[in-house]
Amino acid sequence: MFHLLWLVPAIPFASAALLLIFGPRMSHRMAGFLGCASIGLSALISILITWRFIALPPPGGNYTQYLWTWMNVAGFHPDIALYLDTLSLIMVLVVTFVSFFIHVYSVEYMHGDEGFSRFFGYMNLFVASMVVLLLGNNLLLLYLGWEGVGLCSYLLIGFWYTEPKNSLAARKAFIVTRVGDTAMALGLFLLFDKLGTLTIQPMMHAAQLQWPHGSVYATAAGLLLLGGACGKSAQLPLQTWLPDAMAGPTPTSALIHAATMVTAGVYLIARTHVIFQLAPTAQLAVAVVGAVTLVAAGFAAVTQDDIKRILAYSTVSQIGYMFLGLGVGAWTAAIFHFMTHAFFKALLFLASGMVITSMHHEQNIFKMGGLRKKLPLTYWAFVIGGCSLAGLPLVTAGFYSKGLILWGALSSPVGSTWLWIFGVVGVFMTSLYIFRLIFITFHGECQKEPSHRPGWLMGVPVIVLSTLAIVGGFVELPSYLGNHPWFTNFLQSSLPATIEAHHPLMSELGAEGWAVLAFFLGLGGAWYLFLRHREVPEALAAKGLGRALHRWWYTDWGMDWLYDRLFVRPVGWFSRTNKTDAVDLIYTGTAALTRAGWASLRLTETGRVRWYATALVLGTVIFVLIVALL
Amino acid sequence: MSSADFVALLPLIVLGATAIVVMMSIAFRRSHALASTLTLVGLAVAFWSLWPAAGEVPRQVTPLLVIDRFALYYFGLIIAATFAVVLMSYGYLERHDVRREEFYVLLLVAALGSAVLVSSDHFISFFLGLEILSVTLYALSAYLTERGIALEAGMKYLVLAAASAAFLLFGMALVYAETGTMSFPQLASDFAAGGAAHLWVLAGIAFMVTGFGFKLAVVPFHLWTPDVYQGAPAPVTAFVASVSKGAMFAILLRFFYQSGSRDLHATLLIFGIIAIASMIAGNLMALFQNNVKRILAYSSIAHLGYLLVAFEAGGLFGAAAGTFYLTAYMITTLGAFGVIAVLSASGRDAEDIEDYRGLFWRRPGLATVFTVMLFSLAGIPLTAGFLGKFYTVAAGTNSSIWVLIFVLVATSVIGLFYYLRVVVALFATEHIPSDAERPLPVVPAMGGVTLGVLALALIWLGVYPHVILHAIQSAMSGIF
Repeated sequence: MFHLLWLVPAIPFASAALLLIFGPRMSHRMAGFLGCASIGLSALISILITWRFIALPPPGGNYTQYLWTWMNVAGFHPDIALYLDTLSLIMVLVVTFVSFFIHVYSVEYMHGDEGFSRFFGYMNLFVASMVVLLLGNNLLLLYLGWEGVGLCSYLLIGFWYTEPKNSLAARKAFIVTRVGDTAMALGLFLLFDKLGTLTIQPMMHAAQLQWPHGSVYATAAGLLLLGGACGKSAQLPLQTWLPDAMAGPTPTSALIHAATMVTAGVYLIARTHVIFQLAPTAQLAVAVVGAVTLVAAGFAAVTQDDIKRILAYSTVSQIGYMFLGLGVGAWTAAIFHFMTHAFFKALLFLASGMVITSMHHEQNIFKMGGLRKKLPLTYWAFVIGGCSLAGLPLVTAGFYSKGLILWGALSSPVGSTWLWIFGVVGVFMTSLYIFRLIFITFHGECQKEPSHRPGWLMGVPVIVLSTLAIVGGFVELPSYLGNHPWFTNFLQSSLPATIEAHHPLMSELGAEGWAVLAFFLGLGGAWYLFLRHREVPEALAAKGLGRALHRWWYTDWGMDWLYDRLFVRPVGWFSRTNKTDAVDLIYTGTAALTRAGWASLRLTETGRVRWYATALVLGTVIFVLIVALL
Repeated sequence: MSSADFVALLPLIVLGATAIVVMMSIAFRRSHALASTLTLVGLAVAFWSLWPAAGEVPRQVTPLLVIDRFALYYFGLIIAATFAVVLMSYGYLERHDVRREEFYVLLLVAALGSAVLVSSDHFISFFLGLEILSVTLYALSAYLTERGIALEAGMKYLVLAAASAAFLLFGMALVYAETGTMSFPQLASDFAAGGAAHLWVLAGIAFMVTGFGFKLAVVPFHLWTPDVYQGAPAPVTAFVASVSKGAMFAILLRFFYQSGSRDLHATLLIFGIIAIASMIAGNLMALFQNNVKRILAYSSIAHLGYLLVAFEAGGLFGAAAGTFYLTAYMITTLGAFGVIAVLSASGRDAEDIEDYRGLFWRRPGLATVFTVMLFSLAGIPLTAGFLGKFYTVAAGTNSSIWVLIFVLVATSVIGLFYYLRVVVALFATEHIPSDAERPLPVVPAMGGVTLGVLALALIWLGVYPHVILHAIQSAMSGIF
């Protein structure tokens, strides 16, 4: 069964090639079918492999499929090999499974679009790259996948490229993540240089043996990898590209910019957790980045009026939770939250796509309202997704995964009360912004009639994901609910368990109580401010300090403004004024020199045999002279 | 000669016999299809006969020929490349109003000459092989007699090749006069005993360099290349660029490695100068050239310069890197000239860069194949050309020949310009000539399939070079 593993990336890759080459000549029906069927097959194989993995785990809890060696030069011999352990298994399963439903949804969403087959080609290529990222057994393959998903993200954000705004957003995403990628590449070079192998598992083993706890190399490598993770996963200070990335088609936002690609940073840190365990400073940095991001993005989300931007900030904030989990050593909790987040955030995006298509591509929530009766399925999808996101106690998946992270932040030896307080404030903010969105969009007065109800191709994926957003959390029940940590146990073979010290002041149940309180405070606040007394927030934001704060949060703490002043403009100014500088001379000089070389050498090519023969003789004479004189 | 000798010589015998059979068939009945089919069958049998021959190696057959793994590897390359040339010639010749059948006889004899060349370890067989190859190439270059430019190419090639052969022969005579032997292994023992230091021997080797340099088309013996490449029919150019140069590089390796004269200070110096001059001149002269055949001719000068870098690197690694590079280069040139061949109408070859403007939108498959070939020539990763260059540079750094490596890297960058110029023309979206302005012939099925296979082979070698590397490594046992 495991030997089918290579098919998981190969099938989507093949179908992407078919779609991109022959797509323009294919009917939309055919392209849609091919796009979905390939991912469906991949998902099916992942399910089979998972089933086999649970029923009869491979020896050592991992399986390596060795395909071939790319080249073998002077000790540098990158293998093309796939590595399957419980961590990559869970991620691949969730990615292919969620992707499949998003692809099905896209068939209806993208119906009639000019670039229909191109869209599915990019999406399939994305899934293939993502799986390569997750399954690569060495850093080169991981990097290949990492860049592959970045490329697809770029292509899909700028999918409707005739609109300059979209191309700009795509470019911004590409450049900002590039900053992180540079840090990551440096980190990989450092690891390869110091540990002498590219294969991840031996590398981790070597790190454990060679580097003492708190080693400088481990800290440097950890911080550089964190830089890469921040770029890809849109964490402070590199989060600015994600809200703009919403320019892409909504299924793209759901798949790439919510459920899968943006969690690649989480995977990277989990995969290299040994490095972070050796470097407490780097690990603390991960936790702090996560904690600050999750609160900051929460404030930004509360002030947005574009439905997709709210969800984008929410994604930034939720990945902040995952980073917090990783940073306090609650490894499995972070992966657990990745899984539930993939379910409920994909659900929310798909549901928002339904709203957008039926509202004639209106995205401003203040121009909607009262959609509850008109779009009941969408409404309930939002309620379920929103409750799961904010963590409605006991019945939603988000409650369990977030609870696990919060308890880890408080009780873990590397956690602290401060990190926990940030997490609880985040719960309040989450609850506030998501119910604000729901109340404004679906309650109140109807401002605009929806044009149609979404069909079953969009409906079925939403129903499936709604179900998962609820039951997906029951695979891990905390101690006060019978203590069934199935998920943690499953991941045990690839990730260390959280070392749970008991907190002196609070029990797990008590800590959970605070989070539940924060949830209900947020819900109540949203109800009061955005359903009952809408004039209150408007009045608050209208003048003085309130207006300034609103403006500040609305622009995501003015980060874009700051970067524009700090980097974009100075660089632009510098390059404009420096257009014809000395450095350029080197290039224009080289060009002029080669041109001159061409112009003089072409004179030798006369077409006359007598000159050709003369050259031949002259050459011989020179060489004989060299020999004679030496 | 024993029966084992015959088995070892089987590839040569089959090639020669096929030429005779095709000639006889023409005497009885002129049929293009029959002649080409017989040729293909003969080549296939010759290729198959490599396996029985491999059971008998290494074997010295008469003092003239040695059949070892090195020779067999190059036999394989020569036969496969000739096979590809035949496939693309069929459609090309169909469009021309000439006597088509003799073309294949000449091609087979040229392949035989190349095969003799790579298996010779004696001056006599070396010279015989070279002349068999050269004489057929004169005729092949001027095959389309109605074209003035083809006759010109044939004449130029004849005059200059004869002159360079004279130098080669004179060099051999000098070496023989001093050492009294013409066999490479005996030369080796003589040189090892100190005979190499003698002035007449060194002068002889310097004269021989002219013969090598002319056939390899390296500076300063390169001037004929663009004229002949342009004038000769596209499939013949493909043959000259791949098989003839490949065989010459093989005998270069064999002579200089086996006789031990590669390690002479003078040899290294002369070939170092030639390599640097070829890399620079070849790449510079191609820059603003508008004739695709001439671009490829200049590019071949540069590529032979790169190959000489591998030769300069020396050792097992250098020879293996050179052989891999050559394998990749043969596939690439066959593909590139194959594209020109299938696009050429009866009056003229498709050699103007304007012929390729916007080709991607008119013939996407051909344009893709051509792009792959150009990328490989430029050395872009995932193609065999990249790995070839990579191994060459690796071999060079092993031997610390930094000047050559530097020139290789710098001129490769310059080379990128003219390869990309063609690629840009292929994908241009504006000023695409209409079918009325520049009509495109129907791509013959056989030619199209051949090109597809060549493109796949190139990427296969670039991604999964294992099999070929293994074969090359064992082939190198022949000269070490």
